[in-house]
Amino acid sequence: MKILAHSYVCPQAVLLNGKPVSDLKNEENPFKSAYQQLGVDYPKFYKMDVLSKMAFIGTELLLPYFPEGIDQENDLQLIFANSSASQNTDNLFVESYEKLKNPSPSLFVYTLPNIVTGELSIRHKWYGENCFYVEDSFNPGHFSEWAQMAFDKGNKSCLCGWVEAKTDGEQECFLFLLTNSENADNSIELELSTLIKQYRNE
Amino acid sequence: MSDLKENLKAQIIEQLNLEDLTPADIQDDAPLFGDQGLGLDSIDALEFIVLLDSNYGIKIADPSEGKEIFQSVNTLADYISKNQ
Repeated sequence: MKILAHSYVCPQAVLLNGKPVSDLKNEENPFKSAYQQLGVDYPKFYKMDVLSKMAFIGTELLLPYFPEGIDQENDLQLIFANSSASQNTDNLFVESYEKLKNPSPSLFVYTLPNIVTGELSIRHKWYGENCFYVEDSFNPGHFSEWAQMAFDKGNKSCLCGWVEAKTDGEQECFLFLLTNSENADNSIELELSTLIKQYRNE
Repeated sequence: MSDLKENLKAQIIEQLNLEDLTPADIQDDAPLFGDQGLGLDSIDALEFIVLLDSNYGIKIADPSEGKEIFQSVNTLADYISKNQ
């Protein structure tokens, strides 16, 4: 198993393989700016919740690194996780019917975290398996185990991500593309742990 | 009519939670649904029905009418001006 590429999206910046792609510090609408800088035309982006927006941007950046010769439609597994599920959107939805007396259908459709993987699958026509775990914090060991399970079942690559939008304003999306390589060092936990610390400036 | 269209654009942004958009991003004649324009879908059609009812007191009895009414800001404004 090895990491082919990785991206990091937060309200302050977008990075690819550790290098800055967009500086968003002075942007009023950072994710809108990041989307527009991608140069892609996908108006549904504007409807997405924050989780999906960040994952969309991070995934677009990783596309050139997808391994050639792999049936992405069927042999790619999406493995995502976070600690707050869709709580940010859940709260907005509650607000829409408690305060505004209007339960919003457009918010309701994002009141599950795995909508993120659905949005990516629709965008890229990926028909493989996908899953979204909720756990206390980013756990490289778990991602390694989940990816190994996917590879054992015949998947050729995994797009993995820790995508978080907490109600306190903390927002980040760390994506990494894994492939099953027999010649590679199977221990990716340390590498993932180091990468996310670097992205978080810890 | 132009005031109505501007109000509609602001209401669409608020109702559909399109927080990254401004009224200037929405063209009067751009398709609201499908892959072009705003890329809205059937869930958003429900939002439009709510919007017309709550903001303009217009109830759409036959949902199939929506396909024509919700084509663009122009068609929405035209329908409102004729039915309010």
